[in-house]
Amino acid sequence: MSISPRNRSDSARSNRDETSARRGRRRGTARQQRAGARESTAWIERKIPHFDVLDSEALELIEHNAEVVLEEIGVEFREFPRALALWKEAGAEVDGERVRFPRGLCRSLVQATAPKEFRQHARNPGRSTIIGGDRAVLVPAYGPPFVHDLDKGRRYATLDDFRNFVKLACMSPGLHHSGGTVCEPVDVPVNKRHFDMVYSHVRYSDKPFMGSVTHPERAGDSVAMAKIVFGDDFVANNAVLINLINANSPLTFDATMLGAATVYAENHQATIISPFLLAGAMSPVTIAGTLTQILAEALAGMAYVQLVKPGAPVVFGSFAAAVSMRSGAPTFGTPEPSLILYGAAQLARRLGVPFRSGGGLCAAKIPDAQAAYEAANTLQTSALAGVNFMLHTAGWLEGGLAMGYEKFVMDADQADMLAVLLDGVDLSENAQALDALREVGPGAHFLGAAHTLANFESAFYRSSVADSNSYEQWRQDGSLDAARRANVIWKQMLRDYEAPPLDPAIDEALLEFMRRRKSEFEDRDY
Amino acid sequence: MTDQDTHPEDEEIILAELDDSELVEQMHEDLYDGLKEEIVEGTSILLARDWPADKVLNEALVEGMRIVGIDFRDGILFVPEVLLAANAMKGGMELLRPLLSETGVKPIGKMVIGTVKGDIHDIGKNLVGMMLEGAGFEVFDIGINNSVEDYFEALEKHQPDILGMSALLTTTMPYMKVVIDEMVKQGIRDDYIVLVGGAPLNEEFGRAVGADAYCRDAAQAADVAPAMVRARQAGG
Repeated sequence: MSISPRNRSDSARSNRDETSARRGRRRGTARQQRAGARESTAWIERKIPHFDVLDSEALELIEHNAEVVLEEIGVEFREFPRALALWKEAGAEVDGERVRFPRGLCRSLVQATAPKEFRQHARNPGRSTIIGGDRAVLVPAYGPPFVHDLDKGRRYATLDDFRNFVKLACMSPGLHHSGGTVCEPVDVPVNKRHFDMVYSHVRYSDKPFMGSVTHPERAGDSVAMAKIVFGDDFVANNAVLINLINANSPLTFDATMLGAATVYAENHQATIISPFLLAGAMSPVTIAGTLTQILAEALAGMAYVQLVKPGAPVVFGSFAAAVSMRSGAPTFGTPEPSLILYGAAQLARRLGVPFRSGGGLCAAKIPDAQAAYEAANTLQTSALAGVNFMLHTAGWLEGGLAMGYEKFVMDADQADMLAVLLDGVDLSENAQALDALREVGPGAHFLGAAHTLANFESAFYRSSVADSNSYEQWRQDGSLDAARRANVIWKQMLRDYEAPPLDPAIDEALLEFMRRRKSEFEDRDY
Repeated sequence: MTDQDTHPEDEEIILAELDDSELVEQMHEDLYDGLKEEIVEGTSILLARDWPADKVLNEALVEGMRIVGIDFRDGILFVPEVLLAANAMKGGMELLRPLLSETGVKPIGKMVIGTVKGDIHDIGKNLVGMMLEGAGFEVFDIGINNSVEDYFEALEKHQPDILGMSALLTTTMPYMKVVIDEMVKQGIRDDYIVLVGGAPLNEEFGRAVGADAYCRDAAQAADVAPAMVRARQAGG
């Protein structure tokens, strides 16, 4: 039933005309809008201060100690002679594969040419994002070999699962990015997976995405596919891929990561240099010691990228969890990694490069209370710390071993909330609400006030997952807990999914490229 | 994502030019949109077309509010919108009420509602009152902090079908039992349907104090009240 909006000039309605016109249209067409759909944005613009845990004296101390590490201990660049040659040329001391850096060298290389922020283009220009500054870009989880859902439990991920998560991320307004290895499609041979992963990001989403880093050749294929989508010239001058380069901590970069980093840098594509630390095992057990190592590793990696291609976009990454001293297992959502995250964000800001960290990290196996609170701890910390590229925002379970369908939906809800939190406090005349206070006065209620009527639709965040109904209503609705409600939501999302339009010529060119490349070498599982 | 900025020019609708069934449908939509003046106008047009007051009430207003109630229950309409719709309904009712009593047509039901002694919380209670008015009830709201005597005086004066009691505090909710016990003692308990509500209550508490039903929220109260009144009329 459609309703014709009315346009009468009576004065009683004049202050509600706009609202009325909208309301009139709602019943027929806008139920979904009312179900809590949020406008998609390409990033979050932060309007509240950062939460800092270190004063400038503390930051200087850690920066000093990191320089001591770089100078005295150095960093290994393993089985990658080209890196050693570049470092020698830049004035570092190269001893076998160990590189020791004159004090201040890495820092000055990064500060001289690395951009403070950069644009990562999406095939849909409206979704092109900016990484750095006062912005936060929220990205799905990366890397899990398993997937988990309530119906089928835990199992190895397949390409179908991969596509599903690309679709879910595409549909989640709080996620600004399609991510990279949203799960590992183990049903596809190791040496050909990257084709299907890159293709899935292009085909099933129009958000920016990440390239393959598991071999320099696969990085090259990722760039080649990006060129089909964006054009050779465009890719030569613009970041269309961002790529995760982990340090092999402590203080080591291996040939695989260096090879991929080198390919991407040469092609002017972005890299995230991420010390990957399970504190206690891969870094000291203390916060200050771990921060020192993070800074040293990130500086060495980012400086290397600047040596390969001055001006190539780099992101200071940090993934830090604490290892259980009892069992050796990584733990998440605990206070020490939060303090590390806050501190690392401060170090990145002082250095003047974008910062990656955070996400919905947890050690929980299923989307239970542990999953929710550990993830919420890390997500809030990441938001307050000022993370620019929030990898692992949605889906992460079990220390990154599993990508959870329900967990993804729960985290995406949190991601939507972070956008509101970071938006800060509106102090406009309307938000000051003196009119409402005058209208209602003491002892009455605001539910029917004109100000409430004009503002209620967008006034408060409405969770898509949380149930705030009465106990009786909740029981009547089936006594579903959050995970089971999320189970209903992701299935509905996949049913509702519509692929964003893709030029058929580009699609065909990508498929042809994949067919040709896949036929050029044997399937291999390494 | 939104189409709100691209809608075509609003088109003028003259209520008086609509035929009866179009007008009734338009009134359902105007109620939904909370347009009080349009509801008052629509009500007078139908009356001028010789519609009996109870037909206007049931087919235009109560039916419109029934749709509002469904969408409120389903989370499509929000509280401020329902209040606006109820307020529009009230505008129509002001025209109908004298006619209804003139012609001896009874409202769907009458209700006395108030917050119990020691308790000054009334937002939830007000919502229930509004929703029941929307459902075609005549509602007598006796406010907050009501003693047994206050309730009895109101029952005597208004002769309602329903007594509604509300409490927000665990320390005030037991007073509902005091009121009901006194009704039993005076032999008038069965003359009324007693509904209770408020955040700290549940069904078990409602039974324990001797109420006929516990209503968890305003939307449910608007479902339960007419059903119980009808059942009582059928049975009695």
